[in-house]
Amino acid sequence: MTTKKTSIPEVDIEIDQEKGVIREVKTEKYLRSKKNHEKHVNRSIYTILVIMSIIWLAPFVFLVLQSFRSYLTESGGMVDYVIPHHFSLDNYRYLFQDGMFFRWYGNTLIIALVCAVIQTCMVLSVSYALSRMRFRGRKLFMNVVLVLGMFPGFLTMIALYFLLKQLGLTQEGAIPGLILIYCASSGMGYYISKGFFDTIPKSLDESARIDGASRALVFWKIIMPMSKPIVIYTIMMAFMAPWGDYVFASYVALGRAESYNVAVGLYRWVNTNDYQGYFTRFCAGGVLVAIPITLLFMFLQKYYVEGVTGGAVKG
Amino acid sequence: MASVTLEHIKKEYDNHVVAVHDFNLRIRDKEFIVFVGPSGCGKSTTLRMVAGLEDISGGTLKIGDRVVNDVEPKDRDIAMVFQNYALYPHITVYENMAFSLRIRKMNNEEIHKRVCQAAEILGITEYLGRKPKQLSGGQRQRVAIGRAIVREPQVFLMDEPLSNLDAKLRNQMRAEIILLRKRIDTTFIYVTHDQTEAMTLGDRIVVMKDGYIQQVGTPQQVFDTPKNLFVAGFIGSPQMNFIKAKLQENNGKYTVDVLGIHVPLDQEPCDILKAKKIYSQDIIMGVRPEHTAVSFEKGPNTIRSKIQVVEMMGSELHMHLTTDSGDNIILRLPTIDLTRDQRASLKSGNELYFTFPSKVIHIFDPKSELSLLYNENEDDQ
Repeated sequence: MTTKKTSIPEVDIEIDQEKGVIREVKTEKYLRSKKNHEKHVNRSIYTILVIMSIIWLAPFVFLVLQSFRSYLTESGGMVDYVIPHHFSLDNYRYLFQDGMFFRWYGNTLIIALVCAVIQTCMVLSVSYALSRMRFRGRKLFMNVVLVLGMFPGFLTMIALYFLLKQLGLTQEGAIPGLILIYCASSGMGYYISKGFFDTIPKSLDESARIDGASRALVFWKIIMPMSKPIVIYTIMMAFMAPWGDYVFASYVALGRAESYNVAVGLYRWVNTNDYQGYFTRFCAGGVLVAIPITLLFMFLQKYYVEGVTGGAVKG
Repeated sequence: MASVTLEHIKKEYDNHVVAVHDFNLRIRDKEFIVFVGPSGCGKSTTLRMVAGLEDISGGTLKIGDRVVNDVEPKDRDIAMVFQNYALYPHITVYENMAFSLRIRKMNNEEIHKRVCQAAEILGITEYLGRKPKQLSGGQRQRVAIGRAIVREPQVFLMDEPLSNLDAKLRNQMRAEIILLRKRIDTTFIYVTHDQTEAMTLGDRIVVMKDGYIQQVGTPQQVFDTPKNLFVAGFIGSPQMNFIKAKLQENNGKYTVDVLGIHVPLDQEPCDILKAKKIYSQDIIMGVRPEHTAVSFEKGPNTIRSKIQVVEMMGSELHMHLTTDSGDNIILRLPTIDLTRDQRASLKSGNELYFTFPSKVIHIFDPKSELSLLYNENEDDQ
């Protein structure tokens, strides 16, 4: 038996001549040191995780706490303490009474819902076609999309603005304009769902085609019901991007308060009105924006994870 | 029910790889035909061309009298069973089987009748309400077959339907396919790499290699008179022994000189050789492991060998021998005729004598690898 003084636990072997096998023998010392080792590793991992989650959660906690500080009895702006002296719903009351906030909220909701529907259809059909059909230029197309996808979307901002302006889709027409922008390039995000479709055996399609189904029927009757995770993932992604967008929304709707989405609207409050007065109301608005997304994630988390790891999970 | 005719069928992929060369075959109505060959021989590709899942690069494919080269799979009136079953996982067994009928807008009553009937034939009635995931491999395979049966297709295609099953289940399903075939009398094309399946199921077998048809014939023909070395080696298990030998002609009588002994040929092979104008030449002699005569003592025309490995198969022994000349030979020896002493002497390292009965010798040309005893008139394509 040899003893090595390293952190790697020693392992001995035993030769069983009768059965003609070599067996690993784990000594008591080895087992004990392994247990201790695991304990130490776990302890340090958990410490790091706790610190990380505190850093991560701090802004959210701060936001929620600020939203409960009354702008009437305390201060509506920045203060030098975190926990409000009195919890009040004044900010929320203001949001519900102020017509503009609901207008913005509604705008955002309409844009996000319409985009979710259009984008999902586009992404899924593009990915299915790329996954199943072989046509001239398929590889080239995928490569071009990959390269184009590396340019940030903001590069097109100014050009897009003028295009939309010519079509009358800015300011008053900002909502359809924004929907157009968000949906226009959505087919480029086919990668994840194509990966998922690739894991569904091709023989299912073939079998259905022999059974008499057309391509479209195969897609709707066979592939779609099997792809719930990726459909839900795509819908969520398509919903979230416009829901939280600020940059595009801010310049397309520029100057017309009725067309703002909620991010732009809230920013206008603290920026142009008076941030010392509107800050807590801004926080309350932020909480309301976060609620639908949070709920969506809580209920669809299972599918979301399955969708992201689509390659590993068979449909 | 229909015949299927393949005339000069060719498959060439975009990267110029040719998977199937000039495939000619006439499959008769209600025939059970088996494509067999090692992987990559083009058998599945040919089947998929019949199904319409692969484009045909050249030649004509007819189902019945209709040319179907450019007909969509759904309009060919065929059904196919896949190796991985390809059941639709999100719907029940009943719906799986009804799927094709619903697409055809058949009324519910008829669908119900057909599904129940097929389920009964296959013994899956009690699983109709389950999802495919809740079934075992054999049950899934039955559902896959059931899905094909309800269609009452003209041609039934099966692509290695048993290869995903374990050995015991495979034997059972094989027998069931034979029974099924009796019940639903239609044209079958069956692809397999397993020569046992091919022999037991097929009316005729198509042996393929590298995209070429090697031989077409009944299982008996392919087994008894293989056309070339490949077919001889592929059909039969354990595989046929091949030994370098010399063919000697003397006044119309032929003998084979092999491993130091002389084996005279029967009249029939002599006549064939004479008709082909083949005289003395180098040959490769083929003998099946079961077609040897073993003796425990040295005889006048026996070959001495050393036992290397003895495989106990139950009713028979597979003996791996090495002759004095270094050739490796496999013999099959039924255990039932052996005495206790004889069996005890069959141990690795011991000596054993054997000889070749003249009736069952195959003779191949070493260059062309073709059988010299094969009669071209027997071709049955």
